[in-house]
Amino acid sequence: MTRETTQGTSRAPAHTGVVGRSLPADDAAAIVAGDLEYVTDRRVDGMLHGAVHRSAHPHARIVSVDTARAASEPGVVAVLTAGDVPCNQLGTDSENGAVLAGDVVRQVGEAIALVAAADPETARRAADLIEVGYEPLPVVDGPDSPAPVTVHPRGNVAGTLTFESGDVATALSSSDLVVDVDTTTSAQEHVAIETPGGMAEWDLGKITVWCGSQNPGLHRKLVAHALRLNLDDVRLVSNPVGGAFGSRNDDPAPVYLALLAWHTTRPVHLHLSRRETIVAGPKRHPYRTRVRLGFDRAGTLRAIDSRAVADTGPYVTAGRNVLKTSAELSSGPYAAPNARFDGTVAYSNNANAGAFRGFGAPQVAFALETAVSEAAVELGLDPVQIRRANLTRPGDAHSLYGHTVSRSLRASQTLDAAAAHPWWRDRDAWAAGSAGPWRRGTGIAMAIKGVGMGSGKGDTARARLIVSATGTVNIWAGPNHTGQAIGTAYRQIAADTLGIDHDRIRVHVGDSELVPESGATAASRSMYAGGSAVHQVCGRLRAVLDEPGVDTGASFDDVAAHLVASGRAEYEAEFVLPDVDDIGRIPPEALADYAPHAVYGCSAQVVRLEVNTLTGEIRLHGVVCAVDAGVAVNPGATVGQAEGGVAQGVGFALFEEYRLDAGVPVTTSLENYLIPTAMDVPPIETVLVTGHENTGPFGAKGMSEVVVVPTAPAIAAAVGSATGFWPRHLPMTPERVRAGLSAMSGEGTSERSGRRSAAERARTRARPENMSAEPAEGAS
Amino acid sequence: MTRVSMTVDGVSYDDDVEPRTLLVHHLRERLGKVGTVVGCDTSNCGACTVMLAGKSVKSCSVLAVQADGADVTTVEGLAGRDGELHPVQQAFHESHALQCGYCTPGMIMAAVDLLSENPDPSDGEVREGLEGNLCRCTGYQNIVRAVRDAAASMRGTVPTAQEPAAEASAASTASTASTASSPGEPASQGVTT
Repeated sequence: MTRETTQGTSRAPAHTGVVGRSLPADDAAAIVAGDLEYVTDRRVDGMLHGAVHRSAHPHARIVSVDTARAASEPGVVAVLTAGDVPCNQLGTDSENGAVLAGDVVRQVGEAIALVAAADPETARRAADLIEVGYEPLPVVDGPDSPAPVTVHPRGNVAGTLTFESGDVATALSSSDLVVDVDTTTSAQEHVAIETPGGMAEWDLGKITVWCGSQNPGLHRKLVAHALRLNLDDVRLVSNPVGGAFGSRNDDPAPVYLALLAWHTTRPVHLHLSRRETIVAGPKRHPYRTRVRLGFDRAGTLRAIDSRAVADTGPYVTAGRNVLKTSAELSSGPYAAPNARFDGTVAYSNNANAGAFRGFGAPQVAFALETAVSEAAVELGLDPVQIRRANLTRPGDAHSLYGHTVSRSLRASQTLDAAAAHPWWRDRDAWAAGSAGPWRRGTGIAMAIKGVGMGSGKGDTARARLIVSATGTVNIWAGPNHTGQAIGTAYRQIAADTLGIDHDRIRVHVGDSELVPESGATAASRSMYAGGSAVHQVCGRLRAVLDEPGVDTGASFDDVAAHLVASGRAEYEAEFVLPDVDDIGRIPPEALADYAPHAVYGCSAQVVRLEVNTLTGEIRLHGVVCAVDAGVAVNPGATVGQAEGGVAQGVGFALFEEYRLDAGVPVTTSLENYLIPTAMDVPPIETVLVTGHENTGPFGAKGMSEVVVVPTAPAIAAAVGSATGFWPRHLPMTPERVRAGLSAMSGEGTSERSGRRSAAERARTRARPENMSAEPAEGAS
Repeated sequence: MTRVSMTVDGVSYDDDVEPRTLLVHHLRERLGKVGTVVGCDTSNCGACTVMLAGKSVKSCSVLAVQADGADVTTVEGLAGRDGELHPVQQAFHESHALQCGYCTPGMIMAAVDLLSENPDPSDGEVREGLEGNLCRCTGYQNIVRAVRDAAASMRGTVPTAQEPAAEASAASTASTASTASSPGEPASQGVTT
């Protein structure tokens, strides 16, 4: 108490700002002590344990489901199938899929039945005893599948998006150089280290679900919809949770938990295995992206033509919005007078694909940045120079949509910050050290990513504040914390807005009952949107404190007691993310269909590596990550986000490929689906580029997604500079690199080599407009 | 059922367990030691790492009966009696060597074992020593830094030959953030044309 009083007396005048300080995360002390209770650690006496019976077929009619043997196992309390779900749909769109498949399964691992039993072993054994009769259907194993059936009655196209500015065909035909890059990127699994699960309780007509979620508001709706409950009778407590990265955006685990607890009227625990998480959980959409860039001789970009096909698997969750992001970012940070995007998101019987950090940006950026790097080679220009010369300047019009690009964008400064690093400057000396089969190279790439859900979406975050009579300021705010120390950042923002010690402030996130609806921990919006709502709610209290006679210079304890006594202790605020100033070429009524962003973050990265030309092995030696985050509220946490993003980019580039064979999963565990270890991730040097986003809290904006994006194209560019072989397919496994090197040395040049002859360039230009229907070489 | 006796974090336990029970399940489900977590089912992730008779093991790949008579330390038993954090815990806390924290208990236990064998590891030796523990959040950079900081603290010295990357990122962080973060900065500072 003495300590608190001391802090109280040292209020406004002595308060030194905490925004810009690297405070440890609020939960870090509990984490290192092993004391943090994750949602899957929750246990109560008498709780049941759940298990899921999943489809063995990628595409089949369900002929019968026999639960008799499972139900008669001693200890089994409930076995639920499709008929037991009051409204058997995940959300309002039937193409989002059923809670439990009843008539048709469209993916291996799709849930068919749920079991609740006295212990986890019995639940799993009973789930295995459920017998499902299938009538297999032809498998649609990708967007180019010749299968004589469709995944859904309406066909295999889940959505399309096309847009053109200027006249791309004419611009390409009159360009001095056309670079044509046809790429594939693979399905990537999130591998949050805590697999989905948690606990649910049905009590007094109300369901409470403790389960990780990036979007407790959405999960509350999914549960209420499936159980036909009033929204107010569903509570989601969505943290502490062990990682997310997009995997907990619309994960069905909270619905399974709620269904089991509601049926049994007992507490139920469910914790999915790693195998079922990998097989049934969402993935980053695999893409095929073809980009054609037209340049004049001086290296000025004349046209960007981008075509993308995304495989969303059997049900569409985030797929259409992922494609929307791809469209907006198909021109990257570059200005071109002519731009076109033509994209399709397609159904298949492959993995269900959804949200993953970067959300449609990494796939198209790999193609675009590779094309820019190759253009630099062809034109004899420096890779930094060609980028810098073609950047969209802050306040200019976006190449595709023509909307105003935010003035806080620091693309050129970010590029320069990366290029100023010795690992870029000394690239010739690095290359000169090549020895034997190991060829050394250095690459650079960049990307931008919008902050928030985009214009026309009414994207909103809210905060609620209550001053307690004992001098504590409690703030309930969103989006939720899934590992970013976002609650800590909210506390820093609150402390500096109020001018009081951050130890007096408590921030609560992730509980749908208490936190006003604030949307998803997604779209790089948590700091920007949630932080702004916190800033505003604290601003309301601050305005009261600044009234004459309220803050008399006494201890904050006394001020707080006065606020409570006078009924001025509670405040609410909301922050609506701004729409773009000028919507450019987008029809006003269709703004939300394209959802361009008012605020962008940027990252530029340099990669230094070696390639073994005999084996195709790539050894990374370092990554420089320059990132434009506006003001870093908590620089330690911001740098941590950058480094983690780079590591996921390394995985996307070199290792990670969720593979299926005719719809049957091949990489079903961490033994054969490899994510980077401490040995695989090289030293990362992060440079925070000085900037200030005027609409963000203390100048901050989002950055956690954009840092994933440039890593793969920077690695590919480094491979190109080391060997002359320009990878087109991710991941760049040794097999693919070796095959590419062989093809190059065998024929002099090939489609997959960036060093093309003039004759080949001419052929490139003459290539038909339509993207070939054949799968790209090396794709699998 | 088989009778097993073990000391876990300084407390003795006697229990009847099924012979097939994994040590990690015994710790979590019977003894309530949920600070040790499970991240996979193939012994790849290392989240369940504990000390068994003074050596780190993945407790998903050891049967509870194999720990009979042994001394087990989990992350919950690493701090001193007065609650003072172990230097490795302290360093992870201070160095942003964690984000979601789910891999952290196993990572800390693996690091403690590593430092008991090699009190002054290089960055490369730390990376090699922690290769069996997966982290999806941090990119490992701050974990390597924390382990080396802890090593220095345990040796009673300042860190030697700190990894340039860690130094550089910390330095650039401090400098750029301090210039950029003053509240109420004029709007014009946010604009360059």
